Amino acid sequence: MKKYILAVILSVVSLTACGGKSDITAPDSKLDPCTIRFSWWGGDDRHQATNEAIQLWNKIHPDIKITAEYGGWDGWTEKVSAQLSGGTAPDVMQINYDWLVSFSPDGKGFYNLRQLDSLDLSQFDNDVLSFGEVDGILNAVTVSVSGRAMFYNSEIYKRFNAEYPSTWNELLALGEKFSQEEIYPIDLDIQSGGTAWYLAVVYVQQKTGREFLSMDGELGFTEDDIKLALDFYKQLEDNHVIRTVDVRTDEDGSAALYQSPEFIDGRVAGVLEWGSSVGKYEMALPEDVLETGVLLSDDNGNNSGWLIKPTVMYAISKDTEYPDESAEFMNFLLNDEKCAEILGTTRGIPSSHIAEKALESSGKLVGLAQECDELLENADTVTISPYMELQQMKDFYNTAIEKVSYGKADTAEAAHEMYISITEYLEKIRK
Amino acid sequence: MKKIPVYILLTASAIVMIYPLLWLVGASFKSNDEIFSSAWFMPGNFDFSVYERAWRTVTAYSMGHYFVNTFKIIVPKIFFALVSSTLVAYGFARFDFPLKKLLYAVFMGTMFMPAISVIMPTYLMWSKTGLLDTYIPLTVPALFATEGTFVFMLIQFIKRIPKEYDEAGRIDGCNSLQVLVYILVPCIRPVLVSISVFTFLWTMNDFLNPLIMISSVEKYPLSLILRLSADSTGNGYEQNKILAMSVIGLIPSITVFAIAQKKFIGGITAGGLSS
Amino acid sequence: MKKIYHNPVGVWKYTGLMFVIPFILGFLLFMLYPFVSSFIFGLTDYNGISPPEFSGLDNYISMFRDEDFRNAFAVTLKYVLILVPLKLIISLLVALLLNMEIRFIGVYRTIFYIPSILGSNLAIVIMWQFLFTENGLVNQIIGTDISWYSSPHGSLAIIILLRLWEFGSAMIIFLNALRDIPQEYYDAAKVDGCGKIRCFFSITLPLLKNVIFLNVILQFISAMQEFNAPYMITGGGPLKSTYTIGMLIYDEMFKYHNAGYANAVSWVLFVAVTAFVLIFYVIAGRKKENRK
Repeated sequence: MKKYILAVILSVVSLTACGGKSDITAPDSKLDPCTIRFSWWGGDDRHQATNEAIQLWNKIHPDIKITAEYGGWDGWTEKVSAQLSGGTAPDVMQINYDWLVSFSPDGKGFYNLRQLDSLDLSQFDNDVLSFGEVDGILNAVTVSVSGRAMFYNSEIYKRFNAEYPSTWNELLALGEKFSQEEIYPIDLDIQSGGTAWYLAVVYVQQKTGREFLSMDGELGFTEDDIKLALDFYKQLEDNHVIRTVDVRTDEDGSAALYQSPEFIDGRVAGVLEWGSSVGKYEMALPEDVLETGVLLSDDNGNNSGWLIKPTVMYAISKDTEYPDESAEFMNFLLNDEKCAEILGTTRGIPSSHIAEKALESSGKLVGLAQECDELLENADTVTISPYMELQQMKDFYNTAIEKVSYGKADTAEAAHEMYISITEYLEKIRK
Repeated sequence: MKKIPVYILLTASAIVMIYPLLWLVGASFKSNDEIFSSAWFMPGNFDFSVYERAWRTVTAYSMGHYFVNTFKIIVPKIFFALVSSTLVAYGFARFDFPLKKLLYAVFMGTMFMPAISVIMPTYLMWSKTGLLDTYIPLTVPALFATEGTFVFMLIQFIKRIPKEYDEAGRIDGCNSLQVLVYILVPCIRPVLVSISVFTFLWTMNDFLNPLIMISSVEKYPLSLILRLSADSTGNGYEQNKILAMSVIGLIPSITVFAIAQKKFIGGITAGGLSS
Repeated sequence: MKKIYHNPVGVWKYTGLMFVIPFILGFLLFMLYPFVSSFIFGLTDYNGISPPEFSGLDNYISMFRDEDFRNAFAVTLKYVLILVPLKLIISLLVALLLNMEIRFIGVYRTIFYIPSILGSNLAIVIMWQFLFTENGLVNQIIGTDISWYSSPHGSLAIIILLRLWEFGSAMIIFLNALRDIPQEYYDAAKVDGCGKIRCFFSITLPLLKNVIFLNVILQFISAMQEFNAPYMITGGGPLKSTYTIGMLIYDEMFKYHNAGYANAVSWVLFVAVTAFVLIFYVIAGRKKENRK
């Protein structure tokens, strides 16, 4: 009986999991005429710039056609995950950092990029390249690196005659000052952004010198560290530095902060946001009102522990029939000076040296994104583990914070529960 | 005069039903700030350029192109669904045959399975056929009565028609298929109109299936275009442009409904239709 | 003993089978494989990418230990029990009104259907936020201070309100059925001195019984699988108070890459829906017996 069941399973499996061709097309270092598919998600600015870049490519390589497949972020993971399991993925893909863990746990889910000569990897720092490695195999190349920093509504801070905080204690002290007018110095969320846990992790990393999660998914925090993080979050709420989850949900519904009247009208006067996507907050306020703060430190000026990660990456499908051509195109996207100027910072500030220089000399590296980038470059940062970004992990953080905020659990209980969930989950997916 | 309370009731509830839509149209002219600062739907000023930008889209084609794409899916789908659902419903409602109980149970079962859990295997199946990125996976299944809801609806409505109608037809020399076409179909015509309308609207709104099955932007249906620019991970988007696209996208649906609604009630009013 | 098939005289016993052939083919071609593989994945540990590993009933066992699952099931049942009866009553009442001979009836019908046309349009998210946040229109109009989004009851309420507002499809089905109730029935009843309300209960309702049954089943099925409304409006919160089974399946399948578990939960949902529908059938059948 058991054998029979196994046979049925195997036949189902043969139709699904090993979809696509079983053998990988080897590179031959020739460029043949062909059509390759390139997919990405993004907003209008990215769509427009990328389409323009493809037109430029068409002029240089008229015999290698590019089919553009793009859309909004909503549902894009679902689409790509279907394509990857069906063996029908586009040749070149823009991928998200945590997909390396989800879609290529053994490093064999994407094409091994080191086999492709036309991809010039010398333009990247070694540590930046290592973000795309799984089990020593280069699965993806980092397009840009970014981290979150604090940005403030300068009008409100001026009105209160307040300086942007530079230490945790200064931040905590701001709450009282702002509370007189029911204004909050900053805001943290537990929805899509998940900034609440992010800042708490930074705080604990700086304080203890331990990293929350290692790059290969080992939990570095102890249960006490997690409790410390939750205590810190609770303290922010208690000191009127941030809104409680209850108040925030009541005021904003499911809207993102940059679309909420609370932010637009200045009742929330600061955000923690990626340098690469702070533009939406900047645009929500009058021009030049949003300003970059500094990375918060302890009272001795230690500002370590802040996080960085690859914003997006490019990978090549392991099922591609045109590895050389795909690599050539990917190289164009990453390292071509003209292309870099067209793409600008629509995918963040490029990690490729040549692309960054091209942008610098054309005067495109200005503004909040650039300021944020500089802050993080000059600090002793920690690289976010791709495991930290997994949706299931985010659910653990947010559940704990929500319980603490609503008073359904004290920080010790919530920390215990979260510690157990995380350990069990990591053990399960890393086996 | 007796109907005045009815008018008042209807008009009051109609306002509740339609206010959000008016607000939506108004909001498409407003900035984010304006949207929430005032409950009144009228915008401060009408700037139609947002509609121009919405119509143009960020792709190489205008929204018109994507309307055509959507209709390329909708038209065959409606036709397929009507024919296949009617035949199958007739079989189940009017005949007794070997394995009927089993087949009926299987049929009901297909309606109970959560659509989300079969979407991946369905995708994988189509990926073996090389027909991904065509409209075939989105239309052809309708030819095989895969929309259980419609079959189930038709079964219930056919059962309401007295069997004497069929008998009368048979006496006049109709065979089974002719009974369906000449006697039953005229009776259920309003239901068939409803089914067409449902197919139209549900296909208009379907997002996940086309998202997974169609890859080339030029073949996207409208539902994918409406979300093309809504990117929460990047540098934000023009909210009023997205609302304007939604408003444009609603126009055909509302028009189709306004035309079709007469037929829900109209058609022949056969007396004594209930057993 | 040979089975007797109750068909009209002279009708071949396979005629009915011929008519349902499209469904048989459709089932074999498009549904059998997804169903079977979904069932099998439910018995495996499968992340959607690596080959599945057979794990027996592990997924089903862990469901009983999974607090999220138990909560989601309870939330779904609560949602269904409140939504389905309310929606049926509203759609029937409106259908009765819209079946009257009134001027501009077409305009009214169209307006009442507009919310259903919106379906799961992105615009609803913004609209609901405008209506139900702390300083939203609803609180302003009725002068209350209800925490719609941030309280467990409030958030369930606004999801139910969204789906109630979209009662159009159920209404259309009732309209389809009301049209074929002959006016003579009512005329005859009037002669007998029957009031409007008694007419409704003694004529309309009995004649609508299989259409009511139809709507109960259709609304029940879609409410049990509800996913879009909480996904858009509340994200399942606060404190998972609007986290339905449909959302749990979606999250496990696509967000947590836990396809094995997601499929197992789907099958539990499938069995639950089947069981409830069987109960409806038994109740509906017994009523028929009684009348005889």
